[in-house]
Amino acid sequence: MSEELSSLFLNYYSNFTNKEFSLVNLERIFGGASRETYRIKVKDNSDNEEKLILRLSQDSSLIETEQRTEYLAYSAFQDSKVPVPILIDMSEDNTQLGASFMLMRELEGEAASPFTPNIYSPYEEDLGNQFWSILGEIAKKEIDSEIFKIFSKDFKQPCWKNELDKWVKVIHEDSIGVEPILESGIRYLYRNPPNENKRISMVHGDYRSGNFLYLKEKVTGVLDWEMAHLGDPLEDLGWALSPIWSWQDKERPAYLIKRDEAIRVWKTSSEIDLDEKDLEWWELFAAVKGMAIWISAGNEFKSGKNIDPINLFSAWIPGDIHLEVILDILESNI
Amino acid sequence: MKPDINIALLNAAQEIINRFSPLIDDEYEKSRLGSWGALILISAMKFNDASSSLQKENIEIIDWLLVNSRLNDKDIESYRPSNTEKGIDQLDQENQALRALLDKEVEYFEERGDNNLLESVFCLFRSMHHRRKISDLIGLLQQPES
Repeated sequence: MSEELSSLFLNYYSNFTNKEFSLVNLERIFGGASRETYRIKVKDNSDNEEKLILRLSQDSSLIETEQRTEYLAYSAFQDSKVPVPILIDMSEDNTQLGASFMLMRELEGEAASPFTPNIYSPYEEDLGNQFWSILGEIAKKEIDSEIFKIFSKDFKQPCWKNELDKWVKVIHEDSIGVEPILESGIRYLYRNPPNENKRISMVHGDYRSGNFLYLKEKVTGVLDWEMAHLGDPLEDLGWALSPIWSWQDKERPAYLIKRDEAIRVWKTSSEIDLDEKDLEWWELFAAVKGMAIWISAGNEFKSGKNIDPINLFSAWIPGDIHLEVILDILESNI
Repeated sequence: MKPDINIALLNAAQEIINRFSPLIDDEYEKSRLGSWGALILISAMKFNDASSSLQKENIEIIDWLLVNSRLNDKDIESYRPSNTEKGIDQLDQENQALRALLDKEVEYFEERGDNNLLESVFCLFRSMHHRRKISDLIGLLQQPES
């Protein structure tokens, strides 16, 4: 695949830029189940190098999302306080590279595994302040009216029901077994809805440890916007705070700063007053949404549609953890 | 005596992680193979208990249903442990049926707001989850899954 892709890519990129390029390197990045991501280095005739990131749609991905969604979400945050890669191109045409794709400049920095404790040491505090503050900026950002209009087509109110219905449908379509803890969690969410937030924000959809780049003490980019949509900003906060992203040190969500401090930073940055009960709803929702994703992964693996080990891993480990999170929240509310 | 299946899996996982994975230059393929090694390691560690865990869970659900639910002995008779040996497939089928019965009963108690019974069912949930979970082996996956 890589050789064929290399040749297709060089042909496409040379035509796109109207310049001759040769390939220095093309490597697939491990992880992430919704896109195939490649790090590409090319150089022109004067030996000027360009570092690029290519995101290709997969035949079989956990959650079907359009390249256009991710591209527009990145577009909404170009030149803002939310660091995102510079976009180069997007195509929903399968003929050029064999699948729809998005191309952007590579940012400096590295992404960590969300399951490794102390991965950000010794920069947890600096990174934590930026991580939660950037999430507040996402919640606060006025979205360009054209982009807002496009995202609005899938938007229904109340936000909580729109999102819950969507993920429950995935669960019931993809489940390969009965899970009473999860079903009980779903019923709880429907019975105890949160207040509807007055502010409609762009929701990243997968804002968490592991989906940002950092270079020492600086967050250099927020990535993986393929699940972006309009909704309640507490959705992103609940997802980012989920204990799954700091399972071996639950006091420090995302293995960064303490929970209270994280929420304080987010509140200051987003300028949103927080209702604790609403946040708890969104945290339970995060675990249910997570279960939908992990169940979907297990289904892909079991059916043989995509036997990438990340799908088995997702069904086994995160699936276990989110189930336990659901149980913890339900028990605390009896 | 022959080596057990879980020992074969353990050794295969070690070979994959320590011997074959380092031979691969391509970072993506290397990570993917390393992940397979770790997942096989987990499979080996859980292999021995797979059948007895299902059996214990089924008994636990039956006991809870008989004491707490609207169901009677006749409703769940066919899922009771018998003298005939059952394979994992059959135990799993029975487990799914029992889980579905349990879920219906829990929904009923939730609607009635019966907190005492809900507390009791959460104890059962906790026990079921504890027996099945493999997230305590997360450490094994931290390297390959990075």
